[in-house]
Amino acid sequence: MDNRYRPTPGTLLEDLDTPCLILDMDAVDHNMDVMAEYYAGRTAKLRPHGKNHKTPALAHRQIRRGGTVGGVCSAKVSEAEVMVDGGVPSVFITSEVAGNQKIDRLCTLAGQAEMLVACDDAANAKNLSNAASARGVELGVVVEMETGLKRCGVQDIPQGVELAKVIHSLPGLKFRGIMSHQVIPDMPHREDRVTEGRRVIQQVIDLKDAIVAAGVPVEIVSTGETWSYDVAAEIPGVTEIQGGSYLVMETGYGFMTDFHYAGKVLTTIISTPRSGTAIGDAGLKTISALRGLPTVEGRPGITAESIDANRIVFHLDEGTELHIGDQLLLLPSQQDATVSRWDSFVGVRGGVVEAVWDIQARGCHS
Amino acid sequence: MERPVFQPVGTPVEELDTPAMVVDLDVMEANIARFHTSMDSTGDSAGGGSRIKVRPHVSCHQCPQIAHLQLAAANPGGGIAVNTVGEAEVFAGAGFNDILISRPVAGRPKIARLCALAQSRRISVVVDDARHVDSLSAAASTAGATLGILVEVDAGSGGSGVAMGADAATLAKNVSDAPGLRLDGLMASLPDLSGPDLSGRRDGPEAPGAVPENELKARLKELVETSRLLEQQRASAPVVSVAASGFDDIAGVPGITEIQVGSYALMDHAHCLVRPDYSPAAMILASVISHPTEGSAVVDAGHKATGPDLGLPVLADSDGAKAVRFSAEHGVLELEPSAYSRFMPGGKVWLVPFDLELSLNQYDYIRAVRKGKLEGFWPIAARGRFS
Repeated sequence: MDNRYRPTPGTLLEDLDTPCLILDMDAVDHNMDVMAEYYAGRTAKLRPHGKNHKTPALAHRQIRRGGTVGGVCSAKVSEAEVMVDGGVPSVFITSEVAGNQKIDRLCTLAGQAEMLVACDDAANAKNLSNAASARGVELGVVVEMETGLKRCGVQDIPQGVELAKVIHSLPGLKFRGIMSHQVIPDMPHREDRVTEGRRVIQQVIDLKDAIVAAGVPVEIVSTGETWSYDVAAEIPGVTEIQGGSYLVMETGYGFMTDFHYAGKVLTTIISTPRSGTAIGDAGLKTISALRGLPTVEGRPGITAESIDANRIVFHLDEGTELHIGDQLLLLPSQQDATVSRWDSFVGVRGGVVEAVWDIQARGCHS
Repeated sequence: MERPVFQPVGTPVEELDTPAMVVDLDVMEANIARFHTSMDSTGDSAGGGSRIKVRPHVSCHQCPQIAHLQLAAANPGGGIAVNTVGEAEVFAGAGFNDILISRPVAGRPKIARLCALAQSRRISVVVDDARHVDSLSAAASTAGATLGILVEVDAGSGGSGVAMGADAATLAKNVSDAPGLRLDGLMASLPDLSGPDLSGRRDGPEAPGAVPENELKARLKELVETSRLLEQQRASAPVVSVAASGFDDIAGVPGITEIQVGSYALMDHAHCLVRPDYSPAAMILASVISHPTEGSAVVDAGHKATGPDLGLPVLADSDGAKAVRFSAEHGVLELEPSAYSRFMPGGKVWLVPFDLELSLNQYDYIRAVRKGKLEGFWPIAARGRFS
């Protein structure tokens, strides 16, 4: 807002006020290139998840770089509003949307861009249909299937076929296809990811075949994420991959060595109270520790030891020194929960600020 | 930025767009009155002759409206505490004239901002190192400003702070001799409420943890003794300030003049566990978006809408239902048969944050509510002022 810190392009990294959320632009470009090259010759394309960066300017960069369907995913209606306001032509809301008010907002968006929304319930589908019909718009609807997360989604193939038929029959709705989402623990070896990816995603392919057999055409099969970007796309029938983490990256995804760390929190040492201990100005308000403490980039003798809301405590190995005023770059264990705490990205290339972007959909939880 | 639907004043709370950070004003006002009244009586029970002044630590809510109510309650000291210079700038702009930055400040641009504030307001800041003293003194002298200084001593929180006794006295003397600085006194942070150890280094020598009460009292007495050491050195240091999240810890220790605390106004699940006589005033209103199996429901508030780094939120109405899992965008409730029908898509759910400071950090507005009706949207004005 008004006098929020916003460094001028051209500012040197070491002159930045801290804490500061840095986007390493060489890493961002590299990560987008990996995706663009991989998807260039394939039928399946990437639909980058916008919930990770929440920034239309970055969504446009992803789309321009290539390999995508030409649109993004969003997690929430208000986040999708930011993407559509920002000129993104196609948005898939990968969560169920309930409540009349919110469904109405979704319909408003459908008058401006191609909108898709996840659904796992016939009553919800009827609400979507009523609102879309009343507003004279067409909503694309995608049936979500539960494949192991124990979250949203139809539980089995008969439920999925039934719901697809209901949606197909309802006015104002266009049944577009099906989706699933899955997470895995560390799997550095591609063979393991292939085995796991094929196992879970086969359920979605089976659902697709069953819906087609029931006479309802299935245009979209949307699944996959950063860990399966090169697995899901090779399963016949999959049309879209919902990868998002790859852009900013995180140490939780450190096993995906194709991608480079782009999102980093710059911190300044504010206290060195005891030998072997230093304290930085970046606490949990600025960096997520949901999957563990951050890692200090390029300083092997320095380890994050604990973190509270407003500061981080580092342990220094013998022979390692830090002084008040020194700066460190921290790699978060989880990127989207870190990005969602910040109002802007400071894009840095070669140690110089290249651009500053407002994270326009930060706080768009609704 | 959050994009709330700014529904009109008077809207029934259950009709608010979700997820929403909602504060019940009656509950908050009762919490504030209870705490300030209890501190108002410390003059008698502590036996130290003077009352412990309350310096509300406003970083835990970042909301000027709430801070004004805290200063209007019984026994205020007139000042507030914040964590960052950016927060101090926001609160100075909202009319607060006595602001303590309770974390050391380093770096030339930031110290310059601090001195700019100090030209028109009473600004104080914490130091634990002679290098802080040098850089602050140089900048304040150049700016023609005076910065109040509290020397932070280590009371076992595992964070910043100089050792009690001689080291603290030496640093304080250093401050009182430095141009542009005014030695106000000492401060200490008490160890936090015991939380999960995120580092996996619980057995490490420096791992912070819960401290037994008698040990805590011993540290507070040592703090007071250190302040007397300063007096003997003719370094006038009237303030002995304690930052305490478990806010009754300091009662009964004479010589402490000020408490920095913030959690009492809005509370949260973690603080209510140790102080059940206070009630949670801030809750997250969420909506059920899916009821995929009979025994489960999914709500629209996940990590981003709850900030659960220190602990998961709990359901306010936990009858037959439990919040068991959160992911970035979703929260999953487990339902017993009696609760199956109460959590259908579109239905509303109240979540009590485990740690409110981190939950509020995810929002830009508090929905202020009284007796079930919206009274207004209060900006969480200092949110995001990390630097």
